[in-house]
Amino acid sequence: MPAKTPAPVNETFAESAVRKVPFFTQSSAFAELWPSIRAGVEEIFENGKFSHGAQVARFEQRLAEYTGARYAVGVNSGTDALVLLLRACGLAPGEKVLVPAFSFVASASSVVLAGGLPRFTDIDPVTYAMDPESAAGAVTSATRFLMPVHLFSHQADLRALGELARRHELVVVEDSAEAIGMRQGGRHAGLHGAGGVLSFFPSKTLGAIGDAGAVLTDRPEIAERVAALRHHGRGGRTLDHFPGISNETDEPGMNSKMDDIQAAVLIAKLGRLESDIVRRAELASAYSERLRDIPGIIRMPVVTAPSDYRRDVFYVYLIEVENRDALASHLAESGVGTETYYPVPLPFQPCFADLGYRAGQFPNAEAACARALALPLYPDLELAQVDRVCDLVRSFYLGRAR
Amino acid sequence: MTARELPFFARDLFEADKAVLLRLIKEIGTGADQRFILGEHTAAFERMLRESLDAADVVACGSGTSALTLVLHGMGVGAGDEVIVPAFGCAPLAATVLGVGATPVFADISRHTMVVDPARIEELIGPRTKAVLPAHLFSMMADMPAIADLAARHGLRLVEDSAVAQGAVLRGRPAGTWGEAGVFSFVQVKSFGMPGEGGVVVTANPALGDAVRMLRNHGQDGVHRFVHHRIGYNSRFDEIQAAFQQYRYALFPARLERRARIADYYTARFAELADAGVLPPPAGRDGRCYYVYCLLCERRDELKDWLAERGIGSHVYYPRPLPRQAAFVAHARQGARWPVAEHAAARILALPIYPHLTDAEVERIADAVCAFARSTASNALAEPEGVPS
Repeated sequence: MPAKTPAPVNETFAESAVRKVPFFTQSSAFAELWPSIRAGVEEIFENGKFSHGAQVARFEQRLAEYTGARYAVGVNSGTDALVLLLRACGLAPGEKVLVPAFSFVASASSVVLAGGLPRFTDIDPVTYAMDPESAAGAVTSATRFLMPVHLFSHQADLRALGELARRHELVVVEDSAEAIGMRQGGRHAGLHGAGGVLSFFPSKTLGAIGDAGAVLTDRPEIAERVAALRHHGRGGRTLDHFPGISNETDEPGMNSKMDDIQAAVLIAKLGRLESDIVRRAELASAYSERLRDIPGIIRMPVVTAPSDYRRDVFYVYLIEVENRDALASHLAESGVGTETYYPVPLPFQPCFADLGYRAGQFPNAEAACARALALPLYPDLELAQVDRVCDLVRSFYLGRAR
Repeated sequence: MTARELPFFARDLFEADKAVLLRLIKEIGTGADQRFILGEHTAAFERMLRESLDAADVVACGSGTSALTLVLHGMGVGAGDEVIVPAFGCAPLAATVLGVGATPVFADISRHTMVVDPARIEELIGPRTKAVLPAHLFSMMADMPAIADLAARHGLRLVEDSAVAQGAVLRGRPAGTWGEAGVFSFVQVKSFGMPGEGGVVVTANPALGDAVRMLRNHGQDGVHRFVHHRIGYNSRFDEIQAAFQQYRYALFPARLERRARIADYYTARFAELADAGVLPPPAGRDGRCYYVYCLLCERRDELKDWLAERGIGSHVYYPRPLPRQAAFVAHARQGARWPVAEHAAARILALPIYPHLTDAEVERIADAVCAFARSTASNALAEPEGVPS
């Protein structure tokens, strides 16, 4: 008899919503926040400056308050933020910057764009961050900068790396693009050395609906220089000030202004960032519970309980698995989106081929690149969707679901 | 009745399209595909411009400045190369050249049009010259026939800084299509400005288009994610802006025409003021795009104050030639002089010309300039010659 009963329409609907699990969406969050986003956009119309305007100024202030940075400087992307930060810290042509072999390309391409030379270190296999021992081995007399990167749900070990930097008089700039909300020793990520960056790429813990980024620093001279460089190197006031476009160009800069529409979205989302972070942690523990005993999973993220010293944030839930690409295809066929962060170690990217690194030099980064897979993780995600993803992973390795 | 303030930078450019922008932000923010950067709207916007220009490729990117960088980088301009740029114009002309590791060589401009003088370019061509980068400025396209000719004769790459000149047509050929590549900027004050930052590369060379596509998104090929063939940039285009610009494009010709009519009116009114030290730009429509309307005025600062006292904003683009600015002094040739650029920098003043100025407001601005000219002319006449007895 049940076969004859037509399924209620909304049940089919709910079922398909569970079945399809995009790698990323913020659709519901955006809809919930729409009244405040809309109000922000209306303010832009009142003010009349749509980039590098009053919303950007307000967002910079809110971001400084949230992170505890003395200065937050809004720019067009996390990549631009790294380039401008390196330049503002005085990176000179040909100077070497230590960068981990496992990261998004911008960690290293920003060094080249700022005129320097990246040199790669291996990573810690658990945190995926720069391994202090490997970094110590890579320091030479031409090394001037150290760029730890915080990836996924971990922070680099800034005690050990800071110590190394002090020993060799290296400037620490943090690629904290993914690390909003993460703190160590009471300091927000990005503020342990000369400065750090944030990316507001849409899928980030704090995401815009377009490109945007920021530089964080406690040092006024760095903030001032970044602020000038993002607006063609023009000195004087330019933020929320049209006539500043004719200020004298003090040094060759770029155009890396933030859009006020993006700033309005970010201001609205910053208001619920802490609850988003809690939600992400809940979803991450749900994953960890459900994936715990599946053979084929080689590594799951280590969760550090928040303490006075440290708070990590789950930006990405990353696992290491056997047959990674086959699992990703299996999930994709079942409507589950994943990302391969990252398939190729930076030293082996075609754009760095001329540096002459060889396979085997970065064993931990190479292993991670072969096995890492990021699963859907965002506040809009439902527990039923986590169940579905985990059932699919289980059935892939065991031939059956729970 | 007090007349309203007429700011130089209009703050109500998009007022009529506010409902559309709000709708697009909400639709895209909550949309099913959650694609916010370089998605279908951007592709459609690129296609629309490519077809309207009959170009081989149009590639949307983060800004007009970034578009120049992508073109220079894509052409392989780099260390050891020289690029000839105007001595008068916007900072990116020199900064983008320095940014790719090359050296800008500053060419002086023509006295009335203020765009780069082809004869000065030709004098500066040497063994290291790789490219010529003329810029259209204010309302005037550079002398592209002469510059294209000299570039061809000397085997130089030709990049057209058409950032401000979208919609201008010179001898039947649109701005942006004279060089191997051109660029447009959509920052809000531009003729086809939008509520955010963005630009495009326009090119006749499909291979250069491919290179720019790769460079704008971290050196990826658009197929293999997280494989980086070249050192690239993050210079991408937002979907909200692409959707908005497609919608706005229908009225772009009408806005340009309105700007041109305001300019025609100003120029006719100011035609007789040369003797009083106020020189309007040349009249006409060929090779013109009235993004900014600039006068050359002997008593520029007085005129600026005069207008301000009457509630009229004006702006000085640019108070110094590029090679006189701190950022570029060290990169300019020793002993070089740019007397015509200096002349312009000391006299230039831009008047409001946005399309939603009313006829009465345009008349008010023109009246104020004419009254200033009359007052200075009578002062000049009143000034006694020689020592008073």
